[in-house]
Amino acid sequence: MEAAHKRSWSTRVGDWFDERFNVRGPLQTFLSKPVPKHAIRWYFCLGGLTFTLFVIQGVTGILLSLYYKPTPEEAYDSILFIMNNVRFGWLMRSIHSWSATLMIAMCVAHMLRVYITGSFKKPRELNWVAGVILLLLTLAFGFTGYLLPWDQKALWGSTVGSEILGIVPWIGDALLGLLRGSPDITGLTITRFYGIHMLVLPVLTFIFLAIHFVIIRRQGISGPL
Amino acid sequence: MTEPVPEAGSTSAGPEVSRRGLLKYVLLGFSALATAAGVLTPVIAYIWPPARAAAEAGGRVAVATTADLPVGQGAVFSVQNKPVIVINTEQGVRALSAVCTHLGCIVFWNPERQVIACPCHEAYFSINGAVISGPPPAPLEVYRVQVEGDEIVVEGGES
Repeated sequence: MEAAHKRSWSTRVGDWFDERFNVRGPLQTFLSKPVPKHAIRWYFCLGGLTFTLFVIQGVTGILLSLYYKPTPEEAYDSILFIMNNVRFGWLMRSIHSWSATLMIAMCVAHMLRVYITGSFKKPRELNWVAGVILLLLTLAFGFTGYLLPWDQKALWGSTVGSEILGIVPWIGDALLGLLRGSPDITGLTITRFYGIHMLVLPVLTFIFLAIHFVIIRRQGISGPL
Repeated sequence: MTEPVPEAGSTSAGPEVSRRGLLKYVLLGFSALATAAGVLTPVIAYIWPPARAAAEAGGRVAVATTADLPVGQGAVFSVQNKPVIVINTEQGVRALSAVCTHLGCIVFWNPERQVIACPCHEAYFSINGAVISGPPPAPLEVYRVQVEGDEIVVEGGES
């Protein structure tokens, strides 16, 4: 047997790319970083769980967008259509709804772990800040997504939730109008929340996730207690 | 593993994959395939077009009444998921495929000129589906249609 044939197909694919782009070295440095012993604990997985849930939200959210219609006339009917007529539509929407709740819970649990292990202290202050921004983005996802089914709970939940912005001194009414797109919650609010939910928040979340992950790889995770 | 495996007992080269290794690959591969199938099946079923309301038994569809569609009027209806143009003419009710034979645009009834027109390339068809002018290479297919009482009933298959 010749030496070339002894290499597995995956090695040969890797060689093909390495000959052209010379990426194996940098990639190995980046990927081969053993997790320190003190961190092999279930409560060090909470951040990763949050990210997994975010990926699930992305996939099921894209699937829901294939059938959802963001107008006051059709929003609720399109939800009924997803639940009753689309194969596995009930499954995708339920996963999206439950993962949304779990994602916030995991964010908070991850935050508690970081707080208890003191991992936010110098030099990791800015990663704590990035994490807080990611928590706020997650809450914004939840708030804008809550309106979209356009049922009674959605309408009044969003009414009460957005009213809170109205009590800001001096500029409360202006902020409220900016959030709702109209004095009340209307079809303009649906499209506004839909755009924020599907386009603005995902882009911002990707940016802050990238910052969050690059910092953790650069600094490594914090030492044992 | 296309290379010839050394004979059992041959110690010169040794098998490329050990028993444990083979077991590991088989189990891991099975787990990965089962997981992928479990995730992909619902996703593919989800994006597959949902079934529309089933057509009437026998492929006969009551599309409109003669009150909805008085003499001189025409409209496009969906018959078994295909667009069909139904026209109430003085010579009786006609039903034809509404898909233009040129490039597949959906034709419409022009009540002023009493012709079927295609919006894309200025094609005209007679009420029998024959090409009057324009680029279509073939006439429109004719559907069987009956008036039962005041109901206009189109039969699914072309006649």
